[in-house]
Amino acid sequence: MIVDDPMRGTDGSRRAFLRAMGAATAAALASGEPVPVSAAEPVRQPEPTADTMILLWLAGGMASPETFDPKRYTPYEIGVPAEKILCTFPSIPTALDGVRISQGLEHTASVLDRGVLIRSHVVADLGNILHSRHQYHWHTGYVPPQTVAAPHLGAWVAKVRGPRNPAIPAFINIGQRLEGHGEVEELKAFTTAGFFGSEYGPFNIPYPLDAIAAVRPPRGVNRDRFSRRERAYRRLMDEGPLAGMASDYHRQSVVRAMENAYRLLNSPEREAFDLSKEPKAIFDRYNTGRFGQGCLLARRLTEAGARFIEVTTEYVPFLSWDTHENGHATYTEMKKQIDQPIAQLILDLEERGLLDRTMVVVASEFSRDMMIEGVPGSTAKDQSRAKADVMQKPIHYGLHRHFTGSGSVLIFGGGFRRGLVHGETAPERPLVVTRDPVSIPDLHATLLHAMGIGPRTAFDVEKRPFYVTKDGTGQPIKTLLARA
Amino acid sequence: MDRGLRRRMHQTATDRRFAILACATIGWLMVEGLARAGEGPRPVDFAHTIVPIIRAHCAGCHTDGKYKGSFSLDTREAMLRSESVVLGKSAQSELIERVLSKDPDFRMPQKGPGLTASEIDQLRAWIDEGASWEPGFSFKVSRYFAPLKLRRPTLPAARDGRDHPIDRLVDTYLNAHKIPLPRPIDDAGFARRLFLDVIGLLPPPSELEAFVKDESTDKRIRLIRRVLNDRRAYADHWLTFWNDLLRNDYKGTGYIDGGRKQISAWLYQSLIDNKPYDRFVRELISPKPESEGFIKGIKWRGRVNASQVREIQFSQNVSQVFFGINMKCASCHDSFIDRWKLNDAYGLAAVIAESPLEIARCDKLTGRIAQPKFLWPELGSIDPAWSQERRLEKLAGMVTHPDNGWFARTIVNRVWHRLMGRGIVHPVDVMANEPWSPDLLDYLANHLVDHDYDLKALIGHIAESSAYQSSPAISSEADQPDSPAFRGPEIKRMTAEQFVDALWLLTKIAPAKADSPGRPPCEASAPDHRYLRASLMKSDELMRSLGRPNREQVVTTRGDVLTTLEALDLSNGQLFNDTLAKGAANLIRSRPGTTADEWIDSIYIQALGRQPASGERATARELLGSPATAEGLADLLWVLTALPEFQLIR
Repeated sequence: MIVDDPMRGTDGSRRAFLRAMGAATAAALASGEPVPVSAAEPVRQPEPTADTMILLWLAGGMASPETFDPKRYTPYEIGVPAEKILCTFPSIPTALDGVRISQGLEHTASVLDRGVLIRSHVVADLGNILHSRHQYHWHTGYVPPQTVAAPHLGAWVAKVRGPRNPAIPAFINIGQRLEGHGEVEELKAFTTAGFFGSEYGPFNIPYPLDAIAAVRPPRGVNRDRFSRRERAYRRLMDEGPLAGMASDYHRQSVVRAMENAYRLLNSPEREAFDLSKEPKAIFDRYNTGRFGQGCLLARRLTEAGARFIEVTTEYVPFLSWDTHENGHATYTEMKKQIDQPIAQLILDLEERGLLDRTMVVVASEFSRDMMIEGVPGSTAKDQSRAKADVMQKPIHYGLHRHFTGSGSVLIFGGGFRRGLVHGETAPERPLVVTRDPVSIPDLHATLLHAMGIGPRTAFDVEKRPFYVTKDGTGQPIKTLLARA
Repeated sequence: MDRGLRRRMHQTATDRRFAILACATIGWLMVEGLARAGEGPRPVDFAHTIVPIIRAHCAGCHTDGKYKGSFSLDTREAMLRSESVVLGKSAQSELIERVLSKDPDFRMPQKGPGLTASEIDQLRAWIDEGASWEPGFSFKVSRYFAPLKLRRPTLPAARDGRDHPIDRLVDTYLNAHKIPLPRPIDDAGFARRLFLDVIGLLPPPSELEAFVKDESTDKRIRLIRRVLNDRRAYADHWLTFWNDLLRNDYKGTGYIDGGRKQISAWLYQSLIDNKPYDRFVRELISPKPESEGFIKGIKWRGRVNASQVREIQFSQNVSQVFFGINMKCASCHDSFIDRWKLNDAYGLAAVIAESPLEIARCDKLTGRIAQPKFLWPELGSIDPAWSQERRLEKLAGMVTHPDNGWFARTIVNRVWHRLMGRGIVHPVDVMANEPWSPDLLDYLANHLVDHDYDLKALIGHIAESSAYQSSPAISSEADQPDSPAFRGPEIKRMTAEQFVDALWLLTKIAPAKADSPGRPPCEASAPDHRYLRASLMKSDELMRSLGRPNREQVVTTRGDVLTTLEALDLSNGQLFNDTLAKGAANLIRSRPGTTADEWIDSIYIQALGRQPASGERATARELLGSPATAEGLADLLWVLTALPEFQLIR
């Protein structure tokens, strides 16, 4: 059962929604969760053009010159000065006339006519470059530290729009481990519902192939035994001394939360989590590793009724897109990981008629450059591990500095225009934005607008309003939307 | 109001863009400036531009109770009602006409130099854009004003023989509000609540049984002393509360690169010693190396918002933790929600600043250097020429000064909240709110001061009252604004640490080595509750799921309802289930020959503090198997720990 868009649905779906989650929400609200600021005067929210948002997060700083915004190509040769190099791959044509992207992204090039390519995304210069701080900024809209725990974008969507299907968690986070490597504490700081409380927090699935484990009985407990437990739990609830007593909201919250958990664990939709149910031919098209598998899982969960899904290439310091050395070779591999899964996700959603109401966003916390750390004139410390004025070894060949002056974002479906390139960057270094810059608040405002959430949507926390876009300043870029 | 005007107002409230109260980061202002180029002028910012103009020139005569010429600027509605502002038409607005006028009888303000040309331009632009207003914002402030000094209330006469001072005050409140007295709680319920509240553990079955059977009249008082005297268990439990409050942990942002320092060993020893609260706080504010982590805050790498530098963190945290004052607004601009000003926030920050601290207003430097100053100047002054050490020492003295009633009130209110589930002032971080019983609050604060700031004595005193020893108030919904403030103890949810401690106790497995430095190792022969405790361990998946916070912000209260994601972890979470499986297997091995009924009795009494009813016993038997299997025992433990009766402190 997909209760689509319960907040705005027919009476029937609204009732279903209330039955499923509303009571939990009401109790949560009553127990001190933030309340909307303009309760007396409801904010007029935009009509949503998307019901699900999928964020494909290329963590670690994806270099746009090596991916979606190629520049003059300089092949590797010993003795080539570093300052001559803008990018290390030749470009290829795409489905859009005159628009070229980087070699290695042929599948994505073939679906570029389905979406919007923003080449003018600018992010903040925060002094010392630190991936986790920039990722915090992108995911919450606020630069850390904040005096209150800022919610993740997914938590905002879960809070304002609610689940699409009560049996599927509203905010699902795929691919990122939160234990066992550097900077996990910093990642946890934004992988959270913050002041909204854990009801709106991420349902974390670090390993897509294991996703089914998140919705089936724990290892060592078979389904029969699990059901026996549940039956005994229900009986003891009826037989205990509290059964006949007036109910209190604490007890109701335990009962309801346990019921919600069981609904997920016993619903037919839990099959969506099981990648082994996917035909092998299709699975193989996605199977480039955890990211590709995550894209497939995102498609299955979208079909089952998820509201917000993030799939990440996983941030681990100095791995994946975070190339401090040997960038060219690493990017060849990274592009293999993302290219076919992204394209296949778009094609599969389109084929199933879901792309119109599903927004797929490809983004990263910043870009990279061969020479410049931060933006021109920044005081940020140079963090390249393969410093060389001229190319001497292949590990010197790649974009090894973090660049915040421009970056690329792809948006498909969900009410966005098709076949549009927005913004432009300089043809020579510094590769800064020369036309139509897009800030994080405005980008968020645009994505949220499509999700039916206005940029000044706010909740009262500690007696002051906290807005979904930074201080309420984001403005949707209407030219990116199919119907402005 | 005519419909057209209402519609226009609605439009302005929802469509107009104006900046807000919550100032956050700059750093990328330059970039955003670029992003906005070509969009035309930014709308007038009500909070940061218009409010200060009204405050400076109009508020004295036309807000917050004083409405000369019957003109109120408290709210947008009041302003519009006066018809002095014509939306979208500043030229036709009397307000503008008056501030521009040269006629001394007509001009506003009547006294003083009047508005500058640029201020008038901003007012005009604001009116022309529709005079947007921060939703809910009013210049009118709350009437309640908490005095600085403690009062010594006269105790009312006892009713119905309930002569504990707390009961005399509480019963007077209940009587005045026609709220029935809560019913007394039974012995087993009392013991379970007392153990969980004071030392965080379930009562050991043998003690519980002996207590229930005991027929002496002073047995509750003796039990209260007994738990308070369990120094180690007390410290293990209250460590959680203080770690949250002082944002101390064993891993987390900042520790890895020296940007943050633990105070764990000092804190633990202070709790073991039941260090007087005034001394405890003096050692935090004017610290030794082992207690300096709190005031040092978190040094973030890279550029941060001016309101998050370490000096301002100090100002915010000292205000929040020790006084229940929210300085987060005032560290950016004069607060709109209470009386604290930018100068107050920076004055406190300047006490710790090691070099001149320039005041930034909404992240823009003002050119003014902050002067060290405490929130209540009547308690003393701080010479800017003094060393940082001397300034902090002076500050510590003023924070803990016996004449500083806010200091004692804030902590007794927090302790009351921990024991009773709801503050006398509520929420606990807004101490400017009116207490439901100012007399009770000041009585308890005096009790603390008179007993040399002994927090255990305070806890014991509260626990001895009939108010504490009552059945819980049943609320179908939490915190209704118009519901009575006190009807009896509220039901509380176990913290993550209490839940995990209980789990370890039930399964007899716990980690062998603490992550927290400072706690002596466990004694091999120790009784049950000498197991290592969750508060001493780094947070894990299960504890995080059950609400143990990242301690990057001060946390004074945790979520009090179980959420779906938490319930999922309690249903199929691997860590939780593995602990149950391992624990059950251990138990079965360690007590061979135990019958199914013996297992059921022992688990019930330990987990729920009671015997199972016959229906429950039958269900439990079915689950457990006969003879009991490790699987069956794990299932029984799982089912019992999932029950609200287990997870809640009633």
